[in-house]
Amino acid sequence: MHRKIKLALAAATTIGALGALVLVPGQLALSADHLDPPARTDPAVDPTPDFDTDIADLYAFYDDTNLYLIETWGGPAATNLAGFFDPKMVHTINISTAAPATTPEISISFRFGVGATPREQGIQLTGLPGVNGPLVGPLEQILSKDGVRVFSGLRDDPFFFDAQGLKDSRATGVLSIKNTRDRFAGLNASATVIEIPRSRLGGTKLDLWVTTARLGGQL
Amino acid sequence: MNTIASTATRRSLFAATSLALALALSACGGGGGDNGGGNVSVTPTPSPSPSPSPSPSQSPTSRNVSACLSQVIPGTGGATPASLVIPDTIKLDLTQPAGFPNGRRLEDPVIDITLAVLLLDMTKHSPALLASLPLNPAANDKPFLSTFPFLAPPQGTPPLSTGTGTSFAFQTEPTSAFVRVDREGQPAVATALVGAALRNAYNDANPSDDVAGVFVPEFTNQLTLIHNGLADDLIALGLTPCSK
Repeated sequence: MHRKIKLALAAATTIGALGALVLVPGQLALSADHLDPPARTDPAVDPTPDFDTDIADLYAFYDDTNLYLIETWGGPAATNLAGFFDPKMVHTINISTAAPATTPEISISFRFGVGATPREQGIQLTGLPGVNGPLVGPLEQILSKDGVRVFSGLRDDPFFFDAQGLKDSRATGVLSIKNTRDRFAGLNASATVIEIPRSRLGGTKLDLWVTTARLGGQL
Repeated sequence: MNTIASTATRRSLFAATSLALALALSACGGGGGDNGGGNVSVTPTPSPSPSPSPSPSQSPTSRNVSACLSQVIPGTGGATPASLVIPDTIKLDLTQPAGFPNGRRLEDPVIDITLAVLLLDMTKHSPALLASLPLNPAANDKPFLSTFPFLAPPQGTPPLSTGTGTSFAFQTEPTSAFVRVDREGQPAVATALVGAALRNAYNDANPSDDVAGVFVPEFTNQLTLIHNGLADDLIALGLTPCSK
C-alpha cells in the first residue's frame, strides 16, 4: 500500500519536475569533459571544433606496483573515423606529489608525428619519471622504456551515461532517461594509457590534471 | 574504509528509481551546447550562436548552497565537494582504497556520485544513493580489459594507424609555444558548475587560480541556480537537499 502511494507520488512529481525543468537555468549538462569548452570543441557551437585537443576523460588508479593514467579525447566519435592525433598539439598530464597541490612535480607531455605516410603515426612522450629521454614509438602498440609502459591509439569511449534520455525528456516533457541506454555506447575515443611504477612517484598523495594546447591556438 | 564507488550496491526499488530519475532530470536543466549528447562528426552543423550564460537569480527565496560545498562526504576521510574541486584536480591517496573520489577508475559511476553529493544532504543520504539504483547505465557497453591498456578495442572498423619503428616527424617547438585549449581534473566540474560565459576562462586557468578562489563565486552561483529550481522537488520526493 505504502509503496503504491509512493509510486503514484513519484509519477506525479516527475511530471511536475519536468514542467519546472525548462526553467532551471543551471548548467548541469552531463559529460565528463567531452565537448568542453563548447566555443572551442562542440560542433553545435563552434564551426571548427578542435576534436584533437578536446579532453574527454582523465582516469587515475593503481595497484600494488603501478600507477595507471588514462586520458581520452576526441570522443564520442563515430566508428568510421580515425583517431585524432594531429601533430600540431600537445597533451600534458600533471601530477603533484607534494604540497602545494597546484604545482606538478611530474609533467608528462606527449605529441604525435607521422612517418612515411600520413597513416603511419607515432607518439613522443617526455617527462616520464625515471625514463631516460623521450619515449617514442608507433600508435596502436604497447611501448615500454626504462620500466614505464605506454599505449596510445583509438579505443572504445569508456564513459557511460544516458545523455540522449535527458535530451529527449527536455524536448518532449516525457521522462525517458533509461539506465539501459548509454550515449557513449558504440562510439570511440582517442586515448593514451600510461603505466608508471609507484616507486617513481616520490609521494603517496597525488593531485592530477590534464591540459591540451595547440600551436597557434584552437582551430 | 570503503570508497563510495565500491559500496554502491544495487537495489531494485522501482519507486526509488523513479524518484531519482525525476531528481536528476530536473538537475540537468539549461545548457547551451550538447555536452555528451553531441557526437564527434566530420561535418559539423553549427547553430547560430552559443547560448549566453543566464544570470543568477537573486530572488528573496534564493537557496543557500554553502552547506552543499562544505559538507563532509561520508567514506572519504573528510573530503568535501569544495575540497575535491578546489583545486580542480583528481585526488588520489595511494594509501587508501582506489575508487572515485579517491582517484577515478574506469568503472566508477562518477556522474551519479557527483549528482548525489552536490544535491543531497550527506548527513541524511548516502553519496552512493543514485549509483545504487543505478540512475544511469551502471557500466560501459564494452567490458574493460583486466590488464594494460584496460580500454576496450575500438568499435566498428575505423582506420587505424599502421606506424612501426621510431622514425616519425614531430613538431619541435617547446610545450610553452602551444596555446591552451582544454583542461580537466575532476569529471564534470566545468560542465556542471561553470556557466557558458566562463567556460573558456575556466579551461585557460590553472589549479593555482582555483585555489585563489577565482571560480568560487561561479560555483556558488551555478549551484544556487540548480537548487533554486530543485529544492522543492527534492523535498516533495522525500529527499533532503543540502541547500537551506
